[in-house]
Formats: sequence, structure tokens, C-alpha cells
Amino acid sequence: MATNNSSQQSGAGPPPKPWERAGGTSSGPAPFKPPSAGSTSDVVEASGTARPGEIVPTNDTTSAINRSTLGRPVPSRPWEQQQTYGGAGYGSGLGYNSGLGAGGYGSYGGMGSYNSGLYGNNMYRGGYGGLGGVGGMYGGGMYGGGMYNSSYGMGGMGMGMGGMGMGMGMGGPYGDEDPNNPFGAPSQPPGFWISLMRVMQGFVTFFGRVAMLIDQNAQAFHMFMSALLQLFDRSGLLYGELARFVLRILGAKTKPKKLHPPGPSGPHGPQTQIEGPKGAPAGAWDGVWGNN
Amino acid sequence: MPVFKTPFNGYSVKFSPFYEQRLAVATSQNFGILGNGRLHVIDLSPAGPIAEIAAFDTADGVYDVSWSESHDSLLIAAVADGSVKLYDLSLPPTSNPVRSLSEHTRETHSVDYNSVRRDSFISSSWDDTIKLWTIDRPTSVRTFKEHAYCVYSAAWNPRHADVFASASGDCTARIWDVREPGSNMILPAHEFEILSCDWNKYDDAVIATSSVDKSIKVWDVRNYRVPVAVLNGHGYAVRKVKFSPHRGSVIVSCSYDMSVCMWDYMVEDSLIGRYDHHTEFAVGVDMSVLVEGLLASTGWDELVYVWQHGTDPKAP
Repeated sequence: MATNNSSQQSGAGPPPKPWERAGGTSSGPAPFKPPSAGSTSDVVEASGTARPGEIVPTNDTTSAINRSTLGRPVPSRPWEQQQTYGGAGYGSGLGYNSGLGAGGYGSYGGMGSYNSGLYGNNMYRGGYGGLGGVGGMYGGGMYGGGMYNSSYGMGGMGMGMGGMGMGMGMGGPYGDEDPNNPFGAPSQPPGFWISLMRVMQGFVTFFGRVAMLIDQNAQAFHMFMSALLQLFDRSGLLYGELARFVLRILGAKTKPKKLHPPGPSGPHGPQTQIEGPKGAPAGAWDGVWGNN
Repeated sequence: MPVFKTPFNGYSVKFSPFYEQRLAVATSQNFGILGNGRLHVIDLSPAGPIAEIAAFDTADGVYDVSWSESHDSLLIAAVADGSVKLYDLSLPPTSNPVRSLSEHTRETHSVDYNSVRRDSFISSSWDDTIKLWTIDRPTSVRTFKEHAYCVYSAAWNPRHADVFASASGDCTARIWDVREPGSNMILPAHEFEILSCDWNKYDDAVIATSSVDKSIKVWDVRNYRVPVAVLNGHGYAVRKVKFSPHRGSVIVSCSYDMSVCMWDYMVEDSLIGRYDHHTEFAVGVDMSVLVEGLLASTGWDELVYVWQHGTDPKAP
């Protein structure tokens, strides 16, 4: 590597780009108006399109000016309120990626609908409940119905992914603090409702970003879930233990499974006979070699 | 070539347009889902480890970074809290960021500095908008809101100071002129979300788009009914695509399949290089403007690789 290019002065601009040295090599007339002279802000102001500091609210419907040019409807954003939360209403209208189960794309409702799609309606429902619970929590609890009703509880998050969400989401109250803020003393600690709202904001952010990642990488997520389900399946956790685990969380008493049921239990006899030495009946070895 | 280990998951890497050995790396904690972020500025040395020049912490993940084309010490970061932050390497860490521009209402996902006029940059965000900023103003000059879904990336035309392209989750790429009220062109480029776009440096009417559908498509904006080329080879969504600054038909891309690929869209066997050095999603890639063939990549395995095309990135 060469050393610093000391001839470069601040403000003088970088070395000319390779394509600038090469000159104009466009394969034909470009379909753009010729560039204007002057600074960018002057050019934009001269064109009459400048709108300094415009803040576009997230629910601004005017942003969908050219929606009609799209080939298909666009899924709702994860952070948007889901009126028709759930599998059928939201997901099936899109037909976005049927392999993922009715548009698991990009919303909490979508995550819920994931549960009711490919994995939900078949035997894997139990194993996938954790994520489905998330969908329920946001779609039904926080926004759709009562604001703080009990579906916000951790029970909805269930197992697996739920644990992760819980731990990180609790970081929410401090998410808005800027460590680089040089001004003044720390402010008053926020009140209960404020901090609760921030926790919820943290949840929304967290699951919004998870949903966006899934959005951007749908195939890998599908592979991940398949692998996870296979793992559960192989370990025998999926059907028995998992269901028992859920029941136990819900407060139901389950009897512990007996590992070694007494007595023969099948056509091949009790498995325990394989283990350990067994006393042979007296004289059992006599005549083995045809002792005539 | 040595490797640089970052404490957080890598999101973006960019070569400095001023110094051939300098790079900036944007990283985010917990895969950018929740937590802090850090912006690293690193220097390559001829022999020996990569040295860190500076690091700046943020209260949320950093998704993208862009070097200023007017000042060699100025950096712009796209932060997940929706802000766009300016950092000056010549100032002490306590004075940084020199500016924090908070107008986006959702995560800012990309920034790109205008390399022609060198006084402005654009940021794209999950709030469906693109904002145009100049370095001398505390507010955005204007906002481009037409996309119906998150705008994952926006890139200036390297030969035209007023034109840029944007890639969005609404499955369109759009071409904009900052003097026009709306977009100039709408390219329904892919069936799935478009994650990245970039301009050909040697033909100002050619852009490349990369998508969740695992493909990269090259388009001529004068006739965008059919793509000029479709590059298949990635196994998962293609996260970033970038045209070579040195050769007009060469493209580099990185993908969720953890590979970095190099393509020449003019030739029949267009895949001319494949690097599988990352062990997690490869989400950031760049090509040096000053050294031909020098590549850099970063990913969720918290590693930054810098290597010459044709050599093994993992070779010491």
C-alpha cells in the first residue's frame, strides 16, 4: 500500500476519478436534462422544488402517489397498525411468497400469519408458536384492541425467540438517550407510563427490524425455520415435550413421563432386558456343542 | 491482506476517495436489530495489521457510511434511529458528531455523497423517502416521496450532478432529477424487493439493481423494457451491488449467501470471481477508486477483509 497522498489538501477535492479521466464514453445521448451550474441548493431552489426540512409522517398517504405503477400491492410496514391482522385477511391478499405462508413479510401481523400459514396449519404449529405469539401480541394486544391488555404479557411470546425479544426489548427505555449528548445534567427519570411506552417502542423497533431483515432475506429465513423445526423434530421435542412445556406455562399439571414402564410393553419384549447381565438358568449351557 | 475485527456486526465499508489506504466501516450491535453502533476509520499498512484511526459510537446501529468528496476528513453516517450524522476526523472525539440531522422518521438505510458537484448528499430511509442535504445547511433541501415502501438505497449518477437512482422494497427502481418535482423514470425492475442499485461509471445511462430474487439486473434507462443483462449466481438475496470505478462492465456484489461475487455483464460467462471468505451474511462491499482491483467487504461475522481481486482474501 502506498503512503498518504500528501498533495491532497482538505477542500481541494479527491483525485480525479478514473471515469473522469477516461472522458465521455456514453453509449448514446443520455435521457437527462443537461446539468445546471451552481451549487445544489441553488439549483434546487431555482427549480422551485425545494422544501427545506420537510418531515414526512409515517402514515402520510400522499407518499403513495405512484402506487398504481406497481405490479402488486405493497405489504404494510411492520410498524404500521394492522387492522386486519392475522393470517387470512392480511396475508392471502398479497400472495407474496406462498412458501413462507401467506405473506410473512414485514409486519407483526405478518409474523402471526406465518404461524397460520405453511407451518401453522400443519403439524408444526406447536414448534412455531413463539413467533406466532409475537404477531398476536402486536396485532391484537397493543394496537388493535385494548392498549395495555393482558396479551402484552410474556406468555404471548412463549418460547424460543421470545426469550431473546424479552431481554433486548427491555433495553428500550434507554434507547433514546444519546451518549454523545454534551448538554447538561441527566434529566428527571421518566414516569411509569412514559417508561412503559418506551419499552413498547423498543418492542416495536425490535420486531420491526427483525421483520425487515426477514423481508430482505426471505429464503434464508425459510431455511432457518426449516432447520429449527427439523432440529425440534429430531430431538423428539416437537410433539411431546413442547406441548407439555406450553401446558406447564399455562399452569396445567402434567404427569412426568415414566422412562421405564414396568413389564413387557411390546411385541419385542421389554427393552430393559438388553441392559445388564442376566443369570442363565442352571444347565442352560449344557449340550450347546452337541455333547453326545 | 490483513483482516480487521470489529466488535459489532459489519454493515457497510467504503474506501476513502482521498487516501488509498483508508476505509470507513459502519457496524451495528446485535445484527443491527437493537443496540448501539460504531463507525470505524481504519488504515491499511504495507505490512502489518490494520490500524484504527478513529471510532465513533452511536446510540443506534450504523447502517451505511459515505465519505465526503469535498473534505478528506468528513464522513456521513446513516444511523438506525433515522438520523444522518456528520463526523470530522480532524476534530477530537468530543466534538463529534459535528452535525446530527434528524428528519427521517424511520431508520436511515443509505447515504451517498454527490461526487460531481461535491456539496450535497442523499439519504434513503425506511420511511419511504429520500432526502437531499447540503453540507452547509442544518435541514434537508428537499424530500423525494414517491416510493410506496422502504427505500433501501440511493446512488448519485457519477457523471451527472443532478441525477440519482433509488432502489426500494416496492419492487421499483426510480431515476430522479433534483430539479424535477417527481421521478423521471420508474423501472419495475424485479418481482421482489430491490435492495441496492448503482450506476455504471462509464455509461451514464446504465444502472444495476440487486434484489431479494437473488438476481442482479443491468438496465439501460433509455430503454428499460428489458434488462441489458440478468446475472444469476447468488444463492440468496443480493444485498449490495457496485460498479467498478475502473472498468465499465465489471460489477461486484455481496449477498446473504455469504459470498462476494465479481461479474462482467458484457461477457457470456459473466461470473468472473467468487469469494466465500465470510462466515456470516456479507452485507457490505466496495471497490477502491484509487487502486484498481482492490476490494473490501464486511459482514455479520464482524470482519472486514481488504484484498486484491484474484487473491485469497484470507491469505495473510
